[in-house]
Amino acid sequence: MRYPEVRQQNRKMLLLLITGLVLTLTLMSLPLCSFDVGVYTKKSGNTFVGDEKYQAARKEVEAIAEEYRGQGLDVEIHEDVLERVNSKGKTTSLVTFTVSQTFSRNVFSFIGCGFVSSAAAAILLGLMILAAVLTVLGLSGTEDVLHRYLDGRTRTLRSLAVTALVMAVCLVPVFILSNNVVFSRRLSLYSAELITEGREIFFSKLDRFFFDGGMGENIGDALQGLKLTASPLLWLMAATLFISLVAAVSLLRGEIRSGLLRGGLYVFVAVVCVITLYPYYVMTITAFRSNAETLDMYYLHMVPTKWIWSNLTDIIRRGVPRYLMNSLFVAGGATALAMLCGIPAAYAMARMNFRGKKAFLGFVIMSQMFSPVVLLIGISQLMNTLQLNNTLWGLMLINAAFNQAFAIWLLRGTFVSISSEMEQAAMIDGCGTVGALTRVLIPMAAPGIVTALIFVFINAWNEYTIATVLISTAQNRPITVGITQFSSFNMIEWQYMFAASLLATIPVVILFMSIEKHLTAGLTSGGVKG
Amino acid sequence: MKKRLFAMFLILALVLCMAPAAFAADDEITLDVIICQYGPNTNEWFLGTGMNGTNFVEKFEAENPGIKLNLDVVSWNDVYTEVDTRIANNNAPDILNIDVFANYANEGLLMPVKDYCPEDLFGDFFPSFIDQSVIDGTVWAVPDLASARALFYNVDILNEVGVEVPTTWAELEDVSQAIIDYYDGEVYPWGIDMTTDEGQAAFAYYTWGNGGGFVDANGDWAVNSAENVEAIEYAIGLINQGYTNPNPATQTRYDLQDMFAAGKLAMVIAPNQLPTYVADKGGEINMATAGLPANEGKTSSSVGVMDRVMAFKDESAPDQAARNEAIGKFLKFFYDPENYVGWVSMEGFLPAVNSAVEALVAADPSFAAWLDVLGGCQFYPAAKAEWDQVKQGVIAAEQNALTGADVQAELDALQAELMK
Amino acid sequence: MSNGLNRTKWEPYVWLLPSLILIAVFVVFPILIVFKLSFSEISKAGVIGGFVGFDNYVEAVHLPAFKTVMLNTLWWVLSVVILSTVLGFIIAMVLNQKFRGRKIARSILVFPWATSLVIQASVWNYIIKYEYGSLNNVLLNLGVIQQAINWRSSYQIEFVWECWVGIFVTVPFVTFCVLSGLQSIDGSLYEAATMDGAGFWKKLRHITLPMVRPSLTVSTVLNIIYVFNSFPIVYTMTKGAPAHKTDTMITYLYMLSFYERKKGPATALSVIGFLILCVCAGIYMMTVMRKEEEQ
Repeated sequence: MRYPEVRQQNRKMLLLLITGLVLTLTLMSLPLCSFDVGVYTKKSGNTFVGDEKYQAARKEVEAIAEEYRGQGLDVEIHEDVLERVNSKGKTTSLVTFTVSQTFSRNVFSFIGCGFVSSAAAAILLGLMILAAVLTVLGLSGTEDVLHRYLDGRTRTLRSLAVTALVMAVCLVPVFILSNNVVFSRRLSLYSAELITEGREIFFSKLDRFFFDGGMGENIGDALQGLKLTASPLLWLMAATLFISLVAAVSLLRGEIRSGLLRGGLYVFVAVVCVITLYPYYVMTITAFRSNAETLDMYYLHMVPTKWIWSNLTDIIRRGVPRYLMNSLFVAGGATALAMLCGIPAAYAMARMNFRGKKAFLGFVIMSQMFSPVVLLIGISQLMNTLQLNNTLWGLMLINAAFNQAFAIWLLRGTFVSISSEMEQAAMIDGCGTVGALTRVLIPMAAPGIVTALIFVFINAWNEYTIATVLISTAQNRPITVGITQFSSFNMIEWQYMFAASLLATIPVVILFMSIEKHLTAGLTSGGVKG
Repeated sequence: MKKRLFAMFLILALVLCMAPAAFAADDEITLDVIICQYGPNTNEWFLGTGMNGTNFVEKFEAENPGIKLNLDVVSWNDVYTEVDTRIANNNAPDILNIDVFANYANEGLLMPVKDYCPEDLFGDFFPSFIDQSVIDGTVWAVPDLASARALFYNVDILNEVGVEVPTTWAELEDVSQAIIDYYDGEVYPWGIDMTTDEGQAAFAYYTWGNGGGFVDANGDWAVNSAENVEAIEYAIGLINQGYTNPNPATQTRYDLQDMFAAGKLAMVIAPNQLPTYVADKGGEINMATAGLPANEGKTSSSVGVMDRVMAFKDESAPDQAARNEAIGKFLKFFYDPENYVGWVSMEGFLPAVNSAVEALVAADPSFAAWLDVLGGCQFYPAAKAEWDQVKQGVIAAEQNALTGADVQAELDALQAELMK
Repeated sequence: MSNGLNRTKWEPYVWLLPSLILIAVFVVFPILIVFKLSFSEISKAGVIGGFVGFDNYVEAVHLPAFKTVMLNTLWWVLSVVILSTVLGFIIAMVLNQKFRGRKIARSILVFPWATSLVIQASVWNYIIKYEYGSLNNVLLNLGVIQQAINWRSSYQIEFVWECWVGIFVTVPFVTFCVLSGLQSIDGSLYEAATMDGAGFWKKLRHITLPMVRPSLTVSTVLNIIYVFNSFPIVYTMTKGAPAHKTDTMITYLYMLSFYERKKGPATALSVIGFLILCVCAGIYMMTVMRKEEEQ
């Protein structure tokens, strides 16, 4: 099977691919990254050009510049004067001297300097070469064959070549980003001595990169205002790489679309999962930070430098287990009660005809329309009358009541979706209605019931507002209220708050995850017929 | 068949009945006490093991047989909600520790202090503090503790920039500009808190520093005076010029303190316990205090904040005299230097009774200076009935001004509402 | 659904009774109290006085922030419900595909649902702090940004963040409702459609959407109620600052009641909110029931 058009097209693509690769390599050897290295900065407030303070500062700066020149650097002195007229009509000024030199480096020079970005550059180069080699290997005798008629080996080679190129393209931004991180942020942190860990190594690498190791010990003092300006050519490089990628993909027509879709799916799921987990990451990380590190104003540490496990023991000492037990009691009791009342009601709604059925449904839904916050006064008055103020029982009853609507709605749907034949058979066999319900229907409706159960449990576990008002002694607090003791008049103790939050969240999450499978099943039976 | 159904009902009925059973009445007096949560140790002190292994409640009950304390430590976030809800249900606490009292007193909910407070204890309170809780000649609450506000500044930052501590508003702007220039905006020169919880403090700092204030010379509300408008416009101006923390409407005092402790904020008006707090947070800030800056030609006045303890009426109590006596015993125990000194110093507050001064100064000499400051402090007009409304009103006015509203119009509207 | 068994006339009511009592005592009774309160004078400290007619309502409607708050509430409910429904639908479509790690992904998605709103709101409040928040920390340390960003530079943006947290906690519920709907779809329907040459959009419109509509409507109605009544997010993140510009109705009436001590108008507002919800739900229920009858 040979088609002249195919050959022509394949050749064009090949040509484009080669041009792209060559162009990228050329660009990489051009000086793409320029650095403005301020080896010394001096700021002088309340100083006027020409006055004593100015002269002194100027002299100091010139001496330092001279010293650097002696070391073979080609430094220049910049002077920046900022003048302000103050409220008394006096002019004040801030004079800033910078001694600086500019450097340019190409991508190749990064390789071997030992930074993160150097690794990215090296891998990028390696991948490009790999892609080129694989493409060549997969080329022989195939130039006028349509992709789908290729043999398996060639196909694999080409897929690999494309993968390598994709990865190379992805590495360009990584390279640029890591450059920024390393050179701007790390350097400023090291210069200000906000972190000292790894400072020596970092500076010795910088020394080798800029001065071929010539600055020795002084490098730390010298590099105060290092700024990186990535040349726009870098993006040009990314563009050419991208073009070669497109060419490579075109060489491999077919199969790519589904592959990309699949890749897109994974990327999407990964993004969703990362965003979802992010607050939990924050919670966990912060829970083990030291008090000072929770307020990391210079953004120094993504993870705690030291994991403070005593945060956990501290909150345990401060009553959190008690609160957890209270929550467990309230949520468990509320769930049991809600089910006990909800199952018969849902059964009646699903299986029986009676006057006022719709009215009851409306009544149930209406009961959900008021936010508990709004009902605070009413609820508290009621609890007073019933002598249930400041008791876990009161909280339990309230939670059970406020979750009736959801429980009934879900359970009714579940029961409706199950055929009533089995129960009828059971009833004919001599079971009463209750027997039919407990022996036949409930086992069959298990997924729906489990779902409703978990729902009520979680809602009750997470309830906060009513509990704050209803509970007035420490030993009766549920965990949601207990957590507030860590944000007091004088300070918020983020680490304790999040440690307690973690303890409050983990049981529920585990519970929820364990029924995840039933969850959809339960909602299916319950929801669709809703 | 019906039996099972009845069994289910029985369970329900049981559940409903069990709770009240937990409440058994007996002869002893039970006092409901609400204490606000001041810091991480408050809870420990009253309910945990923070009082040398025991706690306030246990110790009190051991020393005063026949009186039971039903004491709750409530966070400031929830305390108004809880107290108001309980009042609405005729279930007010017996003893309450909070900042405001005028509404409760005006609505006849409180007992006059002389009904329950022992003479000797009453004489022990700083008279100037007692004066703050008087309405129509009757004392309705006793001071619990106090704090004084002062300007704290980061000495290193000001030295580095080469500026002096500002004493006037104009100087404050100059210094702020210099700090901004020097640090390229990395350091905030000035901290302002106009949040829904604390904005009234900002109002006090600036208006009092301009000869204005919440009330005029006769003690009538005068929130829209020319001085006040100028003061608030000045504060808003500081924010708009970028001299302050960027989000004053949501950045609370905690945030400002944290920034100060991290060296990110050069100057902030803060309560006297700031150094304790900074040390807690592991900050090593070289700080000093100064008076609040005032407008040119005006004198600044330091700002004091005081919280109170009050007792509610309870007509349902069978023996009023015994109840009053029990409340008195509670206060006696509370202000007993043995207990009180620990409580006040634990959170770094200033005391309200003379008997505690000696011990506190002995423990920390810096207290003496603060007590002097406290002597000359101005307090919020919390004894006036509309104080809540004014407090929220000025906060709303500030926050509206932050989003571009006209200060004069906002304060005029508030004043008009107050005069209604 | 009569099944030929002899039930007495009152039997269904016996079955309903426990639930009825529970709701009547613990939900309806407080609601009635609130209704009564909305026509009573309530003092600043909370003492309940006599009947004042519609005074509280008149005062509530004339509050300066009333209009802003109503608009905010509308935006809050619309944006959270609509966006989380759309997002949840998309995520459910994706999670309904077969791929490796699907189980893990589903379990992860459950997390926000299982976490208390107070905790969620606190965590997000910490995340978006300008000076030390985790978002700036992570982005800076990963090199995505060079300079810390003020994530809450204006109240409009803060409101957007509040909506985002609302969406974040609502999406899982929608996702699982839709997933349950998707799972009830017979795979052969799609095969038949593919044979007929139907594309992705066509299949979506003619098979998927009609089949998940019941789950979607149910989740939407519940979400409207829950989102409308949601309190902790706004309260924890901004307390409505500045000057109620980020308040929704529920937080506003809380602030009104406990901060500004205007308890009368606050109660009146809560009744107004209740009526609004009732009207919405009433319309919904009527349309749903009409449809059921049509079928």
